[in-house]
Amino acid sequence: MTKSRIVAWLALAVCSQLSGLAFAQDMSFDLEETESAGAAAEKKPDGEEPAAVDGSVEGSAEGNLIGDLAADTSGGAQKTDDGGPKPTEVSEEIYAVQQVYALRKNRVELLPSFGFSLNDPYVSHATAGVGLNYWITNVLAIGANMNWYQGLDAESDLNFHVRRSTRLAIRPTEYQFGASLNFTYVPFYGKFAMFNRYIFQWDAYLVGGVGVMHTRPLAVVDPEFRKFDFTYKVSIGNPGVGFRVFLSKWLTVFAELRAYPYLEKLENLRVALGPDRKNSKLWLDDSSTLVTNVVASVGMTVYFPFGFDYKLPK
Amino acid sequence: MNTASRLMIALGLLFATTGGLGRASKAEAQDVQITGPLAGAPAVRHMRIYRDGRFQLQPTLGFTINDEFARSMMAGLQAGYHFTDWLGIQAFFNYATFSLDTDLTDQIGKRGQSTENNRLSLPTAKGFKDQIGRINYLAGLQATFIPLRGKLAMFQALFVDTDFYLFGGVAFAGVTERADVTGAAADQCTQRGLYGTPTGRTFCENTQGKEASRMAIAPTFGVGLSMYFTDYMALTLEYRAFPFKYNTSGTDEGGRAKNRSLDDSGTFPDGRITEADRTFQFNQMFSLGLAFYLPVKSDLTE
Repeated sequence: MTKSRIVAWLALAVCSQLSGLAFAQDMSFDLEETESAGAAAEKKPDGEEPAAVDGSVEGSAEGNLIGDLAADTSGGAQKTDDGGPKPTEVSEEIYAVQQVYALRKNRVELLPSFGFSLNDPYVSHATAGVGLNYWITNVLAIGANMNWYQGLDAESDLNFHVRRSTRLAIRPTEYQFGASLNFTYVPFYGKFAMFNRYIFQWDAYLVGGVGVMHTRPLAVVDPEFRKFDFTYKVSIGNPGVGFRVFLSKWLTVFAELRAYPYLEKLENLRVALGPDRKNSKLWLDDSSTLVTNVVASVGMTVYFPFGFDYKLPK
Repeated sequence: MNTASRLMIALGLLFATTGGLGRASKAEAQDVQITGPLAGAPAVRHMRIYRDGRFQLQPTLGFTINDEFARSMMAGLQAGYHFTDWLGIQAFFNYATFSLDTDLTDQIGKRGQSTENNRLSLPTAKGFKDQIGRINYLAGLQATFIPLRGKLAMFQALFVDTDFYLFGGVAFAGVTERADVTGAAADQCTQRGLYGTPTGRTFCENTQGKEASRMAIAPTFGVGLSMYFTDYMALTLEYRAFPFKYNTSGTDEGGRAKNRSLDDSGTFPDGRITEADRTFQFNQMFSLGLAFYLPVKSDLTE
């Protein structure tokens, strides 16, 4: 009787321990185990275990984690419920909060771009630009950018038509280049799903700073005598907004709208008679006019270094 | 072994079996996890399907942008049906409730100069606003493609479902332009001897205010953003382009050689106001809308 009881209690204890072992195994979120599981799953036929590959940690580190995890697996999860050989000892890492897709802190960002002016109906100012940012935090960067305009601008037909048909002189300005020191701040970021399958990480940012515009008026009132040199003008504020979509952890595309306000002295509408006509001090207006160069641009962002380490574990 | 012992063993085995079954049950769940808990799952769960199989009715308010001489304020209505959550068709009609002259129009009205060389283009500076072209309405059919769905967080406080869409189609734009000035009427403006007489001057100036309306057919395309505040209502922001040729200034632009030499289209000025004076305009408008979806109840994905 006593012996039998001991056997029974031992059986109970062993079973309980087995259960305990199994629970511990179920809860094992070991990284190596998962990676090996991913490798093992790669060998399995298509449709049987594809998600283990897509969902592996290694795969997610290279690309879009959520997009990878969410890849269509043709009902692979259903099949395992239907019986057949069940994979063992494999677990997936699930996190209550996913890591930020791409960390930017202490990374350098290079931004080549192409743009055009939006608010000058008389001269079209196309621009090729480049920027460089250093990210102090994940949402705040300091940097500089430059836009080159000379040689890319073109007088619009409107300017020509108005001058020709109404005898009104429109005084255009020629830009050579503009440069600015900037602060960039990212207040909004999120995700977009495409066809409920692919996920794009995006952010919206605000940018501002101080810089210069290297410009000159174009002589249209008395072009026979008047010629103007490029001079520097300070542009303050330079506010802008942008939208950036991550293609990878180091490559993005962006669209930006930015204003560069500055004060310009336009060509004097009055033409002095006699020798004063050649007096260059009389060629410009006495007062300055506020000119706001609004530029819409699209470009790419490349982050250096390409890789980065998360400071905290997942 | 007596009965009690057997019972104890049986209980132990039963517990073990039950534990095993429990474990097996866990294992089944774990099996799902083994293939990835998100495997086969959509990128977004419990996503609201705002468009699939629903009708859309959308009043809009908009205005044309980047106009040279006059911008139009548009009140409109869009109606459509969505075959899927990412594709639909729509018909739209926008009516220009009023027109605003640009600063350039005002400047020409104040400072424009009419000489014997441009009298046909500008009979009087003051009357310039009467000769400029205006858009009266814009109607059309379009297909809408909605590739992106997501959420928008505003100041980390207000979260709204959002989609981004593209559309393209055909537009019918009603425009009013300066009426053609040809023949004797044009001669009154261009020939000094005729314009110099009071009758000739009046005849020429009267051409400035005469309008002609027509419908232009143009491609239309654009992008938009919908923000869904309820199951059946969304705020939309939309940009639309509808490029076509029309004479925005009512001036004589035929003969485009900028150096005023002869070119293929003739001399400048050609001395007539005709369709040859229409110039290509990349017309654009921005509008704000309130989209209502029917039926009012939306579906959820798994």
